[in-house]
Order: sequence, then C-alpha cells, then structure tokens
Amino acid sequence: MDIIKYILKRILQTIPLLIIVSVVSFALIRLSPVDPLAELRLNPSISQETLDRERERLGLDKNIAVQYGLWAKSFIKGDLGITSNGESVAQKLKERIPNTLLLTTIVIFLTWLVGVPLGIIAAVKWKSPLDRILTVLTSIGMAIPSFFFAVLLLIFAVKTGWFPIGGLTSSNFLEMNLGQKVLDITKHLILPVTVLFTISLAGLQRQMRGNLLDVLDSDYVKFARAKGISEFKVVFKHALRNAINPMITLLGFEFAGLLSGAALTEYVFQYPGLGRLILEAVMKSDINLVMASLMMGAIMLILGNLIADLLLIFTDPRIRTGGTK
Amino acid sequence: MKNLGYVVLVIILVLLLGKACLRRDIPETLTKTEGSQQEKLTLDVYPANRKNVTINGVDYIQTDLPAGKFGGTMINSTIGEGPKTFNPFNSKDATSSTFADIMYDGLVTIDPVNGQYIPKLAKSFEINGNDYIVHLRRGLKWSDGKPITAEDVYFTWKNIILDGYGNTSTRDSISVDGKLPTVQKIDNYTVKFTTPKPFAPFLASLSTPIAPKHVFEPAVKKGKEFFDTFMSTNINPKDLVTSGPFKMVEYVPAQRAVYKRNPDYYVINSKGEKLPYLDKLIYLIVGDANNEVLKFEGGELDVIGVKGPDVPRFKERQEHGDFSMVNLGPDTGTMYLSMNLNDRTDENGKPYVDPIKGKWFRDLNFRKAVDLVIDRENMVYNIANGFAKPLFTPESLNSIFLNEELKPYPRDVDKAKEFLRASGFTWDKKGRLRDKDGNRVEFDLLTNAGNSEREAIGVMVKQDLEDLGMKVNFKPIEFNSLVNKLLSTYEWDMVVMGLTGSPLEPNGGKNVWLSNGALHMYNQRKPAEAGVNLLPWEKELDYLFEKGATALSFEDRKKYYDRYQEIIYNEKPMIYLYSPVRISAIRNKFKNVYPTSLGGIIHNIEEIYIDTGGGNGHN
Repeated sequence: MDIIKYILKRILQTIPLLIIVSVVSFALIRLSPVDPLAELRLNPSISQETLDRERERLGLDKNIAVQYGLWAKSFIKGDLGITSNGESVAQKLKERIPNTLLLTTIVIFLTWLVGVPLGIIAAVKWKSPLDRILTVLTSIGMAIPSFFFAVLLLIFAVKTGWFPIGGLTSSNFLEMNLGQKVLDITKHLILPVTVLFTISLAGLQRQMRGNLLDVLDSDYVKFARAKGISEFKVVFKHALRNAINPMITLLGFEFAGLLSGAALTEYVFQYPGLGRLILEAVMKSDINLVMASLMMGAIMLILGNLIADLLLIFTDPRIRTGGTK
Repeated sequence: MKNLGYVVLVIILVLLLGKACLRRDIPETLTKTEGSQQEKLTLDVYPANRKNVTINGVDYIQTDLPAGKFGGTMINSTIGEGPKTFNPFNSKDATSSTFADIMYDGLVTIDPVNGQYIPKLAKSFEINGNDYIVHLRRGLKWSDGKPITAEDVYFTWKNIILDGYGNTSTRDSISVDGKLPTVQKIDNYTVKFTTPKPFAPFLASLSTPIAPKHVFEPAVKKGKEFFDTFMSTNINPKDLVTSGPFKMVEYVPAQRAVYKRNPDYYVINSKGEKLPYLDKLIYLIVGDANNEVLKFEGGELDVIGVKGPDVPRFKERQEHGDFSMVNLGPDTGTMYLSMNLNDRTDENGKPYVDPIKGKWFRDLNFRKAVDLVIDRENMVYNIANGFAKPLFTPESLNSIFLNEELKPYPRDVDKAKEFLRASGFTWDKKGRLRDKDGNRVEFDLLTNAGNSEREAIGVMVKQDLEDLGMKVNFKPIEFNSLVNKLLSTYEWDMVVMGLTGSPLEPNGGKNVWLSNGALHMYNQRKPAEAGVNLLPWEKELDYLFEKGATALSFEDRKKYYDRYQEIIYNEKPMIYLYSPVRISAIRNKFKNVYPTSLGGIIHNIEEIYIDTGGGNGHN
C-alpha cells in the first residue's frame, strides 16, 4: 500500500518537471537563430508565395507562446503532431524505436552479463595480474572515442568484406526466408554492438569492481572472515548483496539510455535508429519531432530512476524503512 | 622495472593510435598535368534514335540501341535522410524529386544531348503562338491498369497545379504578370494549354509529372491542408499508382527504397520487347558521403558520384576494379563571392551596411580589383583537386544559354592595384589598404560553417585579398543564421556561397537577378522597397529577364540572356569562382550506359542492362 502511494507521489512530482523541460526546450529551439525554412529560401526555384504558405503552415507566423500552447494542447491529448514534411511524428518514431531498442537492449544485456562478473573477479583477485590486465583493457575501452572506434571497424569491414558496411538489413532482405533474415540482421548488428559493448563494458566493470572492493574492505566482511565463513560465502552472500545497490541506480540510467544512448554510433554505421532521425530534426528545427524526442528522453529518464528506486526498496531494507516513515 | 614496462606499453599504444589518426588535412597540391588527366575520362555520344511506333493500338517509343538481356538489379544511392514525400507535387527537395521522377513521367522530357524538349507521355506537341497542343500516347496504362488519358492531364493541371495545391513553385514560375495559363481538354487524347502572353519557359513546365486522377481526386477534394500530408512517406508503397519505368515496392525508412520494373512501360527495344531491362532498381539511403564511398568500395553500390578529393583514390582502384569513371562535365552548381551593395536603412534609420564599407562595395573599381586578385586556377587545383573549371559567368558552363564571348582572364594583382588607385585607395607604410578618407579597408567574409569546400574557398579568398592590403575577417557561421543575415537582416559585407541553376532555363534564376527577387542577395529589397534606388544595370536586368521569358525562339532569347551575362561579367555584383566537374563511377557489368552532361549517368535507365559475360556490349 505504501509502495503504491510512493509511486503515485513520484509520478505527480514528474508533472511540473515535464512542464519545465518542455518550456525550456521549446524556447531554446524556437529562440535559436535556426530558420526552419532556410534551405527553401535559398532555393531559386521556390517562390515567395510558397515560402509564405510554408511559414503559415508550420505556424511560424505566430508568437512563441501561442506556438507552445498549441503544441502542449495536442501533446496532452496524445497527438504528437506532424513533421515539417507532413508525416506523422508518432509514425516516424514508431519506425525507428524498435531498431534502436534492438541495438541497445542487446548491448545492455551483454555488458551486464559480462561486465558484472568481470568486476567481481577483478575485485576478488585484487592486484593480481588478471586484475591488472582487465584494468588496462577497460582503460582503453573507456578512452577510445566511440565514433573513432566505429570508423576503424567500418574500415575493417570494407577491407575484409566480412561484414556489411552499415545499415540494418541487406537490399534483398524482402526475398529472404526467416533464417536468412535473422542471420542478415545479426551480421549487420555485430559491428555496432561491438563498439557500444566495448565502451559501456569498461565503465560497468570498473564500477562493479570499485563497489565490491569498498564492501570487501568493511568491518562486517572482516568479521565474517574472522568467523571462518568460506571466502565464497563471504563474497557472494554478504559482500555482493551490498555492492549491488549502486549498480541498480546505474541500471535506472541505462534504462534512460535505451532510446538515446547510441546516436553517434548509429550515425557512423548508418543504423536506421532514432539518432539519425533526431539529428536531422534538430538541424532543420523540425519542432514537433524534436519536442517528441526530448519529451521521450525526459520521460525515460524519470521512469528509469523510478524503477531503480523501486528495485532498491526491494533489495535494501534500509531504504524500505526509511521510505515509509 | 615493472612500472617501466607499463610506461613503454602505454607509449607504444599511444603512438599506434596516433599513427592511425594521422591524416593530411591539406590536400597535396596537384600539378596541372595531373589535374588534366581528367581529359581522359570523356563522354561517348548517346547514339540512340528514338521513334514512335504503334503496335496493337499502343503508341510506343522504340529505341535502336543494341538489345540486351533482361533481369538483374542496379543499386544506386542518395545521400541524406531519404525522401520527405512520395507526392510529386509536394516535393521541395532533391531526393524527393529524384524518387518522384522514377515513378512519374511528364508530358515532355529533355533531350539528354542537346537540352531541347522532346515528347514523353505526349506522343507529340505543337506550339502555335500562345497555344501548346499536346497529343497523348494511346493505350498507356497506370500501374493499376487504368488508362492514362487527357482527363488525367487536365485534372493534374487544372485541379492541382493551377489551383495551387502542394508546392506552388511550378504555378508561380508560369504566371505572367499575375495571369496564369489555361488548360483545355479537346478530346480523350488531346489537351490544349494557352499562355496569356508568349512565354517560352512554359514548355519546361510541361515536364511536370502527371498524376492519376482516380487516386489524387479524393485528396484534392479534401482541401489543401490534407493535400500537404497526402502520400507522405508513411504510405504503403503498394498504394502508389505510377506511370514511370519502375514502381516502388518497398520503402524502409533511413535504409532504402526498392523499385520493380513496370511491365507495361511504353519504351521498347529494336526487337519490340518492352523495357526496362532491369528487374529491380534500389536506392540506398546513405547518411553521409564517406559512408557512400565505403559502400561503393565494399560492392554494395553500383553507381556513385565521385567528389574531387576522392578521384585519385578511385582512379587507383579502377585499374583492378570492376568499374569505370565518367566525366560528366561541369556541374550546374556555381560557387561565387558576393558583396553587399545595399545602400538603404532599416526602419530605425540605421544603414544595413556600414556606410564606409558600403561605399567600397558599391565602387565598381573596388569590385573589379577583388575579382582580379582572386586566383581561380589555384582554387580549382587545391580545393577541387583539379576537377573543376574556373567560372566567370552566372550561367553554368553546361548551360545551353552560356555566353561564349565572355572570356576568362588570369589573376592580375598589378591591374587590380591600378583599379584601386583610380578610386583613390592608397597603401600606408605597412602596406595596409586605406580608402580616400583614410579608413582602413577591413570587412567580414561569411560562409556557412560545416561546408568544407566553402570554408576552403573563404581561406583562399582571404589570402588573395590580403595581397591587396585588405584585412578580411573570415567567419564561417551556421547555415541558418547565414541565410537569415542574407535575406532578412542584410547585415553582411562579403559572402562565399553557391547556388544551383538550370542549364536549360535561365528564367529559373529570375529570383536572383530581378531587382525585387526573393534571392536578390547582393542588393536585397524588402517588398515595400520594390524599385527603390535601382542601379542602371539592375533596371536593364529587369528588362532583359522580362524580354527573355516572353521571346519565343531560342535565338531571340539567347540575345537577351547573353546580355544579362555580360552585365554580370562587367558589373560583378557576384564574382563567380568555379564550377565543380561531376564525375561518376559505374560498374562495368552495366551496358548501354551513355552518360551525358545534361542527363547524368543513368538518364536512359530503361535501356541499361546487365551483361556479366562481357564482350559484345558497350563499355
């Protein structure tokens, strides 16, 4: 019961937050000197009449407050509006979200599957050669810029011909049977996943290692060891339980990154995800599309934090009692 | 000791990474002989004779190029985020227009060799003064099997174009003194257009796609607002009803569009078989130019436009590769330098251009000096790697209206200094240029940031002008704010920009040259200022563009447009720099490829076939 109240309270708190986010971003986009019609205006074959009509159609002739009001009204009704080219924003996002989700969930799944155990091993074998090697590797992973790594891998794909050069599906995708389709998508995913995996693995492994080392150094672990409990039990039953809490907070942020974390890599690999769509929208000041993506990002972040906090309530009794008071 | 090992390891890694990052930022200067290797890539003549033949009541176009094999796929690409709409009447960008052109034929098309208009959906057309009578081909079908008739043509013109649906640029370009042409259906296969006055550019507008009435009529009835969103890219491609050689079957956003051959297309080969030969045509949607090059090298693309800096690399690969490069000649794009001649004030009485600077820019001697000191050859060799041609006229070098009398001239610093001296400019002890009143000559040079070609031009212009003792502050700024300065606030001194024009119709540039044009950047007037402070040559340009559009014969029109080019050549409101040369690469397996300067590399897409056996075919 308390938990439901807590959730409701948290959700109510997000409303003013979302309003502030939307006002600030709307104003930023509209007050920036980006003219959504600049390209049309510089095209000699586009007449003044067409320009005037476009200005009216996009609502640019109205004052910013009115523009915001119109946008907010339809947003609350659940209508994301149309892009400056007359396509439905919701439809455009729907086309891209599954692609981005596919990429980011695979990456998050893999990094957690590999990163957490590697962090534990490194912490348990602290200062051993294995720990050192992992440290060197993760430092490289953290230091290498994602776009640079992506470009290197693309060149690798061109030189060897082992992998397709960007994209998500081959041009004859429509004629493949199911098995070939799965294989085709897998082949296209390997390189972008490698880039994102390498980069986020590093951070996660360091985090896990650090958390566990902190805990292993604490008094109750020493006490447990002194009691003569086996090292395995000390680490996995007592220490790990406490070391995992900061990781759950991290998971909340990873959730927010599901839809927005891979833009740079998507761009280099020409991956048909949200990143490319939104980059273009920002450049052209396509207000409905930009606003929809910003709001989506904000909601995902809030939701991610909420989920993390809820999970913490379940894993950490200290928060549980603190939250209900 | 142990630490030393780590240090060495890290240093080696850093060095390796550094080596990988190393890249020459400044292209090596090409010697002129290297640059002229481009001459080897020459065009073949397009040998096809096309004639009308009637078989079983269907009016076909028969081509006499060697008959080829059916089947196969060609993979092409487009840079950017793909088409914005599949509605040919809403298209406002090049990619959407490319996609529409494949799907919809117009009544006429351009002859890829000489640029004259020739019949396409029309079997023939006659021009009698203001009347254009178009006879349609009989027996043609839309992709859903419905016949293409005069009803469709009448509907397209009357209800879409003339009533102002979608992008109204076609309509605006054919209105003469505010009056629009009229259209009349004479019988099921004949349509008559009448222009209010003789108006030569009207013929060009007949190449506008024709829409299937039974598909577009319901949308038109729902009004203009609905029409703007009609046939957006959300539509299922199967619902598109088209007339072109290929029909879209699959559209994957941000990845590709797949076209299948139209089995009922009205072009046949010498054996009477219906073209196109290719089974599928695929356009990959590639986000940026570098990725496109990689895709071509990786074999995922069959055709590519090669940029100047990439040419040497492609040439190396061509030796062992399975593709050939073709030089399509100068592009329609023109790079220019312009000065702000505006001498008016804003509503608060503040001059748009600093009056001191304005005085220099409006001085013809100053403009001539700037023009003479610019080293176009150097730009061609260093920026475009030799794959460009210096340009001195506003019409592009492949324009059929190009004034050949206007000769190129070399850089001449001494002559430039003479012009400046004649206007009372002097140099102080440090070699700095000062005007009559002793003001230091210093101004801003703008261009749009992110366009590396224009940024490189800006740097070279700055260096060239410094030879005259001018101080140039080169500032690349964001594209949108640049356009805002050029067209709304008029707060700029000098700018490097580019425009594309039509090599066939100078009237398309009227927005730039008419004194009240929307793109009359070098002396932009607010609508309320129309006709204010007209320079004598601006007045003459207004006259020439009116005359040029209303004269009918090519020779008469050429006279007016020759004079307009001469004015720009002499008065230099815009100083033209160079035109890039277009180079394309295409796989050798494609036969019947006859690129032309006006038509591009695959203008005869329906005649192109694949022959991997090699031997008999062309190329």
